[in-house]
Amino acid sequence: MNFDLSDDQRDAAAGARDFFTGSVPLSAARAALEGEGLPAPGRKALADIGFLGITVPESAGGAGGSVLDLAVVAEQAGAVLAGPSLVTAARAAVLLEGAPDLAAQLADGSASIAVLDGPVTGSAPSLDAADATLFLGLDGGALVVGEGEVTPGRPMDATRGLASVRMTSRRVLAEDAGELWARARQVGAVVMAAEDLGAADRAVLMGVEYAQQRQAFGRVIGSYQAVKHMLVDAWVGVDQLRSLVWWAAWAADSSPAELPLAAAAAKAYAAEVAERATETVVQVHGGIGFTWEHDAHLYWRRAKVDRLLLGDAAEHLDAVARLAVAGALG
Amino acid sequence: MDFDDTPEEASFRAHVRSVLEEHASELLHVAPGEPVDARSREAELRDTQRVLAEAGLVGVTWPREYGGQGGTLVQQAIVGQELGRARVPTLINHIGIGMCGPTVIAHGSDDQRSRYLARLLRADDVWCQLFSEPGSGSDLAALRTTAVRDGEDWVVNGQKVWTTLAHVSDFGILLTRTDPSRPKHAGLTMFVVDMHAPGVTVRPLRQMSGGADFNEVFFDDVRIPDSERLGEPGEGWRVALTTLMNERVAIGGAGSDIGPSPESLTAHARDRLPALDPERQALARQAVGRALVASLAARYTGYRRFTTLSQGGVPGPEASAGKLGGTAAARLVSDAGVRLLGDDAVLGATAEGDDTWQRAQAYVPGIAIAGGTDQVLRNILGERVLGLPPEPRNDKTAPFSGGAR
Repeated sequence: MNFDLSDDQRDAAAGARDFFTGSVPLSAARAALEGEGLPAPGRKALADIGFLGITVPESAGGAGGSVLDLAVVAEQAGAVLAGPSLVTAARAAVLLEGAPDLAAQLADGSASIAVLDGPVTGSAPSLDAADATLFLGLDGGALVVGEGEVTPGRPMDATRGLASVRMTSRRVLAEDAGELWARARQVGAVVMAAEDLGAADRAVLMGVEYAQQRQAFGRVIGSYQAVKHMLVDAWVGVDQLRSLVWWAAWAADSSPAELPLAAAAAKAYAAEVAERATETVVQVHGGIGFTWEHDAHLYWRRAKVDRLLLGDAAEHLDAVARLAVAGALG
Repeated sequence: MDFDDTPEEASFRAHVRSVLEEHASELLHVAPGEPVDARSREAELRDTQRVLAEAGLVGVTWPREYGGQGGTLVQQAIVGQELGRARVPTLINHIGIGMCGPTVIAHGSDDQRSRYLARLLRADDVWCQLFSEPGSGSDLAALRTTAVRDGEDWVVNGQKVWTTLAHVSDFGILLTRTDPSRPKHAGLTMFVVDMHAPGVTVRPLRQMSGGADFNEVFFDDVRIPDSERLGEPGEGWRVALTTLMNERVAIGGAGSDIGPSPESLTAHARDRLPALDPERQALARQAVGRALVASLAARYTGYRRFTTLSQGGVPGPEASAGKLGGTAAARLVSDAGVRLLGDDAVLGATAEGDDTWQRAQAYVPGIAIAGGTDQVLRNILGERVLGLPPEPRNDKTAPFSGGAR
């Protein structure tokens, strides 16, 4: 057994950390929330460094990498609340397996693509749709691509670029695309769990750093078990979530039969872990953590939004139970 | 990344399997979740361990010079997995093998090693660990059992408790206070004690789950020769840390489940879900799904630790997270298992007399306490992994007899 990243993947994670740390200040998420800017680093920068095409085949101008390769980068994107989401790139790359020309435009950023949830005649708020110009949707079992009319709502987490879309033109890319659509959504769920992993990990770190410095009643608050144990529980969740994300990403690449259960498990667990970690970081900071000026709520917003995107925990827990009973655990 | 054995691991696993098949008729086998009472099945359990020892599957990581196999932690884990797969119950001397023996190896005399270790591996002698007391559990160093020097002997008085397997044990490692004028950690000394010596009284304690795996042990003027001391007088805490480090390796991690497995919950759900009304089925699926996710999260985290071991790493304080996660999963799995019983969930057993899930449920509180309570583990993780400072203490420097305990 070797349940660990390869040296190449570790290097890729380190490179991604440098890129995102250098190009995405938290002030970008704040500015987007206040309507004064777009999420950073933006589509072009993500395309230029090759992150939008990690899972796009080399023949279509991508890197031909694995979902696990993408997940380790997505974790770093999540840590700084980067946008647009690599979930969109991952999901679109699966949907465009039969459309290499569009996959190439996804990878090089020449098309701003979003994937719609819900009916194409009026979608649910969908990830990265706010500034997209080309949309992928499921229309009566067929995979369609086209343009659309975009209606953003008031954002809770502006880095997610959520908007409802009414498609105004539709071209069929594949008939009977239900299974393809489901697999793309599962891969998207894995990558979202990876982004949530990064966000939750960073939130715990923020809480730990504060608890090592802030003093109350004559000593640093991290020495009190009431505070320490809260942070430990959040950290244990993050540590275990990393295991589920790696397993689910590995399943997407190497064991397709395990993907539906593994993706559902990772997404359900990510929702819970990210919520606990981000609520913990607010609580550990006390009053300052509840202010608009402090960054804690930017992470809290991400968790509160992500837990409901691509299926909430109730949907995924139900799927885990049904799939297991049907034999998916062996 | 892969979940397959390396060629070396695969060949070792095949070897273990063939040994277990060859000796199947000489080994005790039990159903999954079936309780094994050490007292009533003592002879079969001892025989099973002897057969396995003679086949080279006991003391896998022990040095060869002491009767072990000189193997790796990964090989140890593989033997554990294969024993589970073959439904051979936990070895009767698991505490001796995992904790007492390694302590004798590290701190015993040559004479003690030659007298004890080979017999321990064959379960000719069963061993127990006499650490906890009624007044010192998590705070082990606050123990009060005394050993007072008298000529060539030490005379021991006091009481130990939660002593697993003491009722079938021949020997134990015993942590005592030999110098109350020193601070609590500095006045301790470790011994090997003969559990059949005059003055040793063992009384089984019944657990809330109904079984009786552990005991209270009384020492009334028990004489122990000085030659049975492990380490120097006053060095008992350092010796005990050897034992506890080995305990951390023995418990929790490397991908084995704490409590019922996700597969057993799944099989149970397959049986019982259809009997619930549709609304209850939806709720039960939530509970089952949540339990499976927690269980898989703990299992795959264990696989990461296992990978660390197989690459030659040693278990660090992160191992405490494995036990915390495993315990949380065990709680959810057993609770979901009971809920699936429908009306029978409020009874001690089903109408057919099956109490598997009720027993699992009543066992969980013990898991959260034994081998480091959830709270102590959180302190370890908070201090040694997250780098948060400990609570201030006033018991580390003052003499134990001074009252700061």
